[in-house]
Amino acid sequence: MNIKQRTKRRKLVLSFAPVLVIASLLLGLMAGSVPVALEDIWHALTTRGNSPQDTIVFDLRLPRVLIGLLTGACLAASGAILQGVMRNPLADPGVIGVSSGAGLAAVITMVLLPQFSYLLPAAAFLGALLSSVIIYTLSWDKGASPGKIVLAGIALNALIGAVMNGVMVMYSDRIQAVLPWLSGGLNGRSWHHLSFMLPYAAAGLLLSFRAIKPVNLLMLGDDSAKLLGQKVETQRMLLILLASLLAGTAVSVAGLIGFVGLIVPHAIRLMIGDDYRYLMPASILGGAALVALADTAARTVFDPVELPVGILLACLGAPFFLYLLRKRSNWR
Amino acid sequence: MTAAETIGLTLERGMFKLSNVNAIIPKGKITAIVGPNGSGKSTLLSLITGLSPPDEGSITILGKPAEHYSRADFAKAVSMLPQSKEFMPNVTVRELIEYGRSPHRSMFSRKLSKEDHDVIEWAMRLMRIRRHDDRMFATLSGGEQQKARIAMALAQKTGLLLLDEPTTYLDIAHQLEVLEALVSLNRQQQTTIVMVLHDLQQAAAYCDHLIAMKDGEIHSAGEPKTVLSKGFMREVYELEAKVSFDGHYPIIIPVRKQNEEEQTMIIVTNTSQIVKGSGDKLVERFDRIGKVEQMEGFLGLEVLWTQNLKEYDEVAVVTRWTSKDAFQAWTKSEAFRESHKHRNIPDYILDNKITFQEVKIRRNPITETALDETAAQ
Repeated sequence: MNIKQRTKRRKLVLSFAPVLVIASLLLGLMAGSVPVALEDIWHALTTRGNSPQDTIVFDLRLPRVLIGLLTGACLAASGAILQGVMRNPLADPGVIGVSSGAGLAAVITMVLLPQFSYLLPAAAFLGALLSSVIIYTLSWDKGASPGKIVLAGIALNALIGAVMNGVMVMYSDRIQAVLPWLSGGLNGRSWHHLSFMLPYAAAGLLLSFRAIKPVNLLMLGDDSAKLLGQKVETQRMLLILLASLLAGTAVSVAGLIGFVGLIVPHAIRLMIGDDYRYLMPASILGGAALVALADTAARTVFDPVELPVGILLACLGAPFFLYLLRKRSNWR
Repeated sequence: MTAAETIGLTLERGMFKLSNVNAIIPKGKITAIVGPNGSGKSTLLSLITGLSPPDEGSITILGKPAEHYSRADFAKAVSMLPQSKEFMPNVTVRELIEYGRSPHRSMFSRKLSKEDHDVIEWAMRLMRIRRHDDRMFATLSGGEQQKARIAMALAQKTGLLLLDEPTTYLDIAHQLEVLEALVSLNRQQQTTIVMVLHDLQQAAAYCDHLIAMKDGEIHSAGEPKTVLSKGFMREVYELEAKVSFDGHYPIIIPVRKQNEEEQTMIIVTNTSQIVKGSGDKLVERFDRIGKVEQMEGFLGLEVLWTQNLKEYDEVAVVTRWTSKDAFQAWTKSEAFRESHKHRNIPDYILDNKITFQEVKIRRNPITETALDETAAQ
């Protein structure tokens, strides 16, 4: 990639991405078992009438599409930050225990304490943050190097996975409720879910822009970043916490959606390079559009059956990931 | 005036040690740190820059204890070119050098200031990579990459610049170009420069001060001309070399190392007086004595006749061994005993005598200096 190509691609990606986000929003509002025309959407959003169509658009589809956008944005931002902090293109929110921690918390809530099932998002969110903190603490020894964090993450993820499976085996009669959440989906998500995640998502996404410079410098390596005046250990801890907050927010509402945090930043990096000034906004927009579009596809393509969007994303993500692995190997 | 000073710096990391290092970096001067691989040069640099904390000892930078600097302020006072082992992101040369400005920029500023631009231009021109500014870093040659990395450190605009092997990966012309550029930086801006160098000649020619390290300690320090000597080469590098100066430029001619492990050898000569014309039989007999060439410590075998083929009356069979023990081991070996078992000394051997000689071997006895000396005489 030379500089002319790169400039061209940056312009293209950064101008195309917002268009894609708006398109995915509109498509998400229009498509479904009751198709809604574009001009009716405008009507539904502005007048808030009581017609069934208005209800479908405003109360069913709009919160769901918005949650999809936020989920994708948060996961992609989290993955982008982690790939930079770990200097590893294979890093994703799972590495720092977000998925396993949230998963265990969700299983415990839904299976052991079903009377508190309305607390699922909060429990998952706390589970995600808690397991990241534990992993980070375990890997600390006068500093937490990326390698140690990954290893501590593997160990803790395995342990949490075992406990989670144990609970599910012992209470196999009650796991029906938690299965859709574990495969990740936006079915039935509504305004109160959005209002739960919005403050965290907004804070996390705003902070992601604050993370651009430190991540760029950390990419140079610990020594170079220190020499350029960065408090590497503090920065890394805060950035991992931020990544955990972002991914925890996303999974708390949407369940365990994989691959977005891995694929989106990685693919965008391939197109426009490593500079987070461009990579971060492009990943956020790309992730948002991807999840919103995939969710729309998940609920329309196999209509009347609705697929959890996590399954659809994994089916798309896995082959794409293999393609990336084969195509590019100049990351160490 | 000192730009940096270390007192009692001690660090132990497994096999590696740095003990009680008291280094003084004179301000406004160019200092070279030299010494054999693993002597602690790079470690000293990384301690001075705070990349690794010492077990004991203290570091003073520009009169202020290093720990009193915030990381950000430190980056405005001291910059360093690390050895290039780390991953470099996919950026252009100019963008890489822009990273050098980050200590001077706020977290949120997206645009470079006029001063930032000027400094980046200046660093690129000083390192002569201005024409590459829009190229991707990864597409540069190794030498140009190194110059771009130096330019990044220059862009920090610090009073103290540390370089760990700045001339590695460069050909001789580029090495000198970089060193000249650093000298002119030092002369124009009074920047204190410290570099780890492997080339003693360059170190002496371009630096005002020399610090020599050996086994994690400072061996000697001072003006290159006073430090570099024959004894220095022997003590620091364990190398025999002639050292002379042509102006400021030292000429170091290594004396080729002789094989210091002098070897000894046992020569066993078995001399037999024989009846004329029966030599063939003797040689045949020796042939049958088993497996001498497979013995440990066997070096070789020669058969010497003392007269022409038909007429000889004396044959010497000479075997060479690394030690007497090796020879005796052979005489006690199964194969030897087997071949001697049912045989008496035949009639044609009139007399037989075995002698041992212990000799010393010196390989390459004629060295260049020896030749020189001979020629001079």
